Amino acid sequence: MNNNKRQSNAVKRLFSRSLFFPLATLVLYGAVAALAPEKALFALKNSLNVLLQMMIPLFLIFILMVAINRFLNPEKVAKHLGKGSGVQAMLLSAAAGIISAGPIYAWYPLLKDLREKGAAHSLIAVFLYNRSVKPFLLPIMIAYFGWIYVAILTLMTVLASFAVGYVINVFLGGTLKRTLSDNPSTPV
Amino acid sequence: MKIAIFTDGPNLTAKVAYRIGTARWLLLIDEDSGKLEAVPDPVVTHAQGAGVQAIALAINRGAQVILAGHFNAVMARQFEAGGVEIRSGFKGTAADALQEYQKGLEKLNAGGAPLEVALLDRSAIVEAVASAGRQFNTLIPVLVGIVLWIGLFNAFMTKAWLMKLFSGRAVPDTFWGACFGSIFTGNPINSYVIGGELLKHGVSLTAVTAFLMTWVTVGLVQLPAETAALGKRFGLLRNGLSFLLAMPVAFLTVMILDGVKRWFS
Repeated sequence: MNNNKRQSNAVKRLFSRSLFFPLATLVLYGAVAALAPEKALFALKNSLNVLLQMMIPLFLIFILMVAINRFLNPEKVAKHLGKGSGVQAMLLSAAAGIISAGPIYAWYPLLKDLREKGAAHSLIAVFLYNRSVKPFLLPIMIAYFGWIYVAILTLMTVLASFAVGYVINVFLGGTLKRTLSDNPSTPV
Repeated sequence: MKIAIFTDGPNLTAKVAYRIGTARWLLLIDEDSGKLEAVPDPVVTHAQGAGVQAIALAINRGAQVILAGHFNAVMARQFEAGGVEIRSGFKGTAADALQEYQKGLEKLNAGGAPLEVALLDRSAIVEAVASAGRQFNTLIPVLVGIVLWIGLFNAFMTKAWLMKLFSGRAVPDTFWGACFGSIFTGNPINSYVIGGELLKHGVSLTAVTAFLMTWVTVGLVQLPAETAALGKRFGLLRNGLSFLLAMPVAFLTVMILDGVKRWFS
């Protein structure tokens, strides 16, 4: 099987998996419509209203996704993860977590690799924690919660990630000063 | 010095292969003698690791520099530690790539491209749009499913039922918010939609904040994958800490928000 065909099949599999959930929900709607049609109609109208409210934020998200895809990729992010030392390493790992994209499962092999090459546990924890800050999703978050809340929560998330990194460093050892770029072959 | 370029053809007018693992030819250029050697089918397998095998072939044939369209940065560091220079981000013909490298116009480092070139690159923009489209293809169906569930939730959920769980007491509500966020997982956008609806139903902002925090930072579903990749102690400790921290962070966030709102009013 050639690469293109394999890629195409992988996309189809992924898409059919992601379609399963909404399709199963529609089946549930069918069941609800049979038992309580007025409730099903109310639910559908409510869902459509929510979707309509999301249109503009979703459009902004698409634009931001294009920009991020254009200027960032996992390789560039990985370059910064585990570099530097001390506070600088923490900040770089946090930034890498914030700009990282894609499902977490795709990142585990890379993180494992970085860990085996000496990236501290604490830096990986900081990276994982900061994945909850998603710049391209900010439009929809702001639409729901307001920009002040989003700004505060984002700041708190980054600070909390440092706390998690610090505690993990205390419990699991490893030093913040010893990093991948300092010594690529020695595990911490 | 010998420079290796992975291409789709046997001469310098051939295009640089975007991925080494899909290259049909390996060109070896000896800078000192000017001699060009073309090796067909440098990739013996299309399985994972094909690119690494092809690079090993180039190194065996004396290459000290490898120019590629794209290459994993982590892997590149590994080879560079062994004294082999790998530069990626090249497009166009092998001759262009060679010229770019020789002139030192590009300071590429595993996947990078200078901003002034990148901004004008139409094909890269098309690829970025296509990539965003693919991301949307996976994001939107689940989001639509969540929104459909919210419709059902709003149709059937009564305030009295919800208040049995979220009673209005700050600490238990925040705890339950953190628990729900830990159990469910997926794209954060779904947590915003669900959190927004919970707020409309009168659930406190601290509970919703704890829910948002744990949705991404704690993952019971992906815990086996995390422990397999990074170790059991790391996985358990990181998830446990993230869960515990979600509650004080939620309280602090709402306290600061209230303070800021008072300040502005």
